[in-house]
Amino acid sequence: MEKNKDMNFIKTTVILMIATLMVSCIKEEPLNSECDIITAQLPDIVLVDNTIISNNNVEFTVRYDQPWPEYAPVFTITEGATISPSNGTVRDFTQPQTYTVTSQDGKWHKTYTVRVKRQNAPEDPKDEFIYMHYNFEHVRTLTTVGRTYDVFYEIDNEGEEEWAWATANSAYALTLQGKEPQDFPTYQANEGIDGKCAVLVTRGTGSFGASVKKPMAAGNLFMGSFDPKNALQKPLEATHFGMLFNETPISFSGFYKYKSGEEYCEPDAAGKLQPIEGKRDMFNLYAVMFEPTEEMPWLDGSNVLSESNPNIICTAIIPDRHESEEWVEFSVPFEYRPGKNIDIKKLQEGLYRLAIVMSSSENGDYFCGAIGSTLQVDQLTLVCKHDKLENQ
Amino acid sequence: MKLFKRILALSLCLTAVIQVMGSNDSSKEDKWYHFEYEVNAGTNIGGASPLPLPAEIRHIDSFNPNLDLQIGATITKWFGPTKKWGASLGLRFETKGMDTKAQVKDYGMEIWQDGEMLDGRWTGTVKTKYATQQLVVPITGVWRANKRLKVNAGPYLSYAFKNSFDGYVYDGYLRVGDPTGEKIEFNGDSRATYDFGSNLRKFQWGMQAGISWAAYEHLMVNANLAWGCNGIFEKSFKTISFAMYPIYLNLGFGYKF
Repeated sequence: MEKNKDMNFIKTTVILMIATLMVSCIKEEPLNSECDIITAQLPDIVLVDNTIISNNNVEFTVRYDQPWPEYAPVFTITEGATISPSNGTVRDFTQPQTYTVTSQDGKWHKTYTVRVKRQNAPEDPKDEFIYMHYNFEHVRTLTTVGRTYDVFYEIDNEGEEEWAWATANSAYALTLQGKEPQDFPTYQANEGIDGKCAVLVTRGTGSFGASVKKPMAAGNLFMGSFDPKNALQKPLEATHFGMLFNETPISFSGFYKYKSGEEYCEPDAAGKLQPIEGKRDMFNLYAVMFEPTEEMPWLDGSNVLSESNPNIICTAIIPDRHESEEWVEFSVPFEYRPGKNIDIKKLQEGLYRLAIVMSSSENGDYFCGAIGSTLQVDQLTLVCKHDKLENQ
Repeated sequence: MKLFKRILALSLCLTAVIQVMGSNDSSKEDKWYHFEYEVNAGTNIGGASPLPLPAEIRHIDSFNPNLDLQIGATITKWFGPTKKWGASLGLRFETKGMDTKAQVKDYGMEIWQDGEMLDGRWTGTVKTKYATQQLVVPITGVWRANKRLKVNAGPYLSYAFKNSFDGYVYDGYLRVGDPTGEKIEFNGDSRATYDFGSNLRKFQWGMQAGISWAAYEHLMVNANLAWGCNGIFEKSFKTISFAMYPIYLNLGFGYKF
């Protein structure tokens, strides 16, 4: 007994000595090596959409009646880092401009491309009705950690690329499951009605996904932006739904094909997928118009279809979705929430947002669904009514 | 490897010297009388640490050296009739290890998932578990201070036949590739595992020094500090940008025949 006590005493002493030795020689904190743009502002300029800041890009959208094209952006960057050209430098943003951020320790630098987009000025079109088509003909590939995936974009009336669509593909890349675009939850395929189409597939996320209790990734495609910083711990909140929208939507139509995966699963308490007997998966495809507020600048997976969400104005949801190997045509009207309507003045001021949202597993946000469920979508159309402008 | 060869050569020389000294002993006494045999067992307390701690390590939240064991045998040859000086050759089997939790900034990291690797710089919490099983051959000079107390010092060589160095990271973020890469945050219950076990060195060498006290005629109480002279990782391993040296205090008992 005595010896044990002695041993314990010696052991404790040695641990304390080693710990003291180690703690006493903690060095001074190294200078920061990161070079991020954290926030971005255009002083005294009215913006109409949330400023998008990614690892290498910044994008502002200014209101149509604002000065153009010279701006003096102000950025906050990683502590101790420097930016060139410096904050407040006036530059011409007819073309995107580049900025270089150099880290505090001087060893690293990163180049950002900064774009300023201008909202189209409202004008009276010749026709009362406007048809907005989305045919999924255009993709560009992006590579994250050596994984290449598709990013959809549209060409607007002026022939400019419009990056309306977002996916969670960049987060899926981090699970290291996919190598080629076709391995990802969302990609472009050739089997469209006329040309190409979008394909959404519910995928497993491998051991990494399992380790963070996110065992599946439903195919997803939506209007808005995806916040990769939030992707792993809060995937529901990482999807920022909503694009600036200046028309009154009437109906939402298009074509889909759907096949449920073989085995419908739900995660158990440990985050492991457990099969549910006899259940089939179902997709989601809808459009929602809403009025953003300061507290809720966009909708996300946790509130986009919530009946109690006061920001939602109207929705267009397909009532009788079903599996089909042939293209199914649908057309649904926008239905207004009780007591909600569109204020033409607000519409002109760019105070509304609209999002088309699709997923290959309707409960994929909660990791319920069947791996392999496949949704194909093509030729979506939003029919809008153009209300006569006031003040003109 | 060059150093290792030198140490090996040195140890062979020393063993030869012991042999020669033994066989050339001019005294009339039985030459075996000058040999001393001991079996011993003990515990290793310590860890593998960079020295000094690199700036990447901001705080050590916890450190547990674990209970590591060793058993071995030592043969000592005493020189001259006074038996004041001698040389020892030992062989011991030992386990060494530690568990640590630390806060780091810009720490080189490789996260593995399904056989695929994501490397970059980690800022946040790192948990590490290090364990190794080794055969160690110490070659030391011995000096008898008095009847009961012996002091020894010299190099040791070791071969690790089982090695592991793994753990996980959480509550922080990874910059993929380098500090300008994509930022991936791990919060809440998100964690990522890493395993650097295959990058550990098999052969190591170092210096050890200690005392041995004869509590009774046959019972020895031993204390030895073993200080590794090469890092626990292979030179080619660059993810952890600094060398980590094994430093262990061995406390134990021996039976002298």
